[in-house]
Amino acid sequence: MLIYRVAKGPHAVDRVVAGDTIDSITVVIMVLYGAISNRGIYLDIALIVSLLGFISTVAISKYLEGRL
Amino acid sequence: MKILLTIIIDLFFATGGFFALAGVIGIIRMPDSYCRMQSSTNTATLGTICVLIGVSLYGFFILNSVAIGVKPIVISLFILFSNPVASHSIAKAAKKCGVFMLNKSRVDEYGRDNPQ
Repeated sequence: MLIYRVAKGPHAVDRVVAGDTIDSITVVIMVLYGAISNRGIYLDIALIVSLLGFISTVAISKYLEGRL
Repeated sequence: MKILLTIIIDLFFATGGFFALAGVIGIIRMPDSYCRMQSSTNTATLGTICVLIGVSLYGFFILNSVAIGVKPIVISLFILFSNPVASHSIAKAAKKCGVFMLNKSRVDEYGRDNPQ
């Protein structure tokens, strides 16, 4: 459902926000799978994915602001 | 005791899933870019953090593993600190690019304080 907003969004900001939400939902799915299959490595991967999503959001917003 | 714990964990999961679904529907249905940002924040804080607290309880008390218990708390603390920063910076970038704002919901204090 969010890919619809990423593809449609009238402005770049909408696409960035939808991508950020896809990222946080991916983190949740990874944590749930790691807890179900009893492997701790998925939680580390989820932490790294969340960190990369934050950094990419801040970098794209700085670029849109014109200060990069 | 274990049944009570399972019910509490399921309540956390259900709350997280409900808020994630509400945020996704808000991102699709809201009329304005700024309203869509508000829905995104809703998903990222309540939806994610409720599910992570549930996973943490599951790891501590059912799997008896400290690694799966502690790491979701670390992830949720990181999201709790990083999400307002990202949301604020993307909103400021949207305002500076001049994204369309609905006339109906217009309280434009940033534009009033910093005239172009």
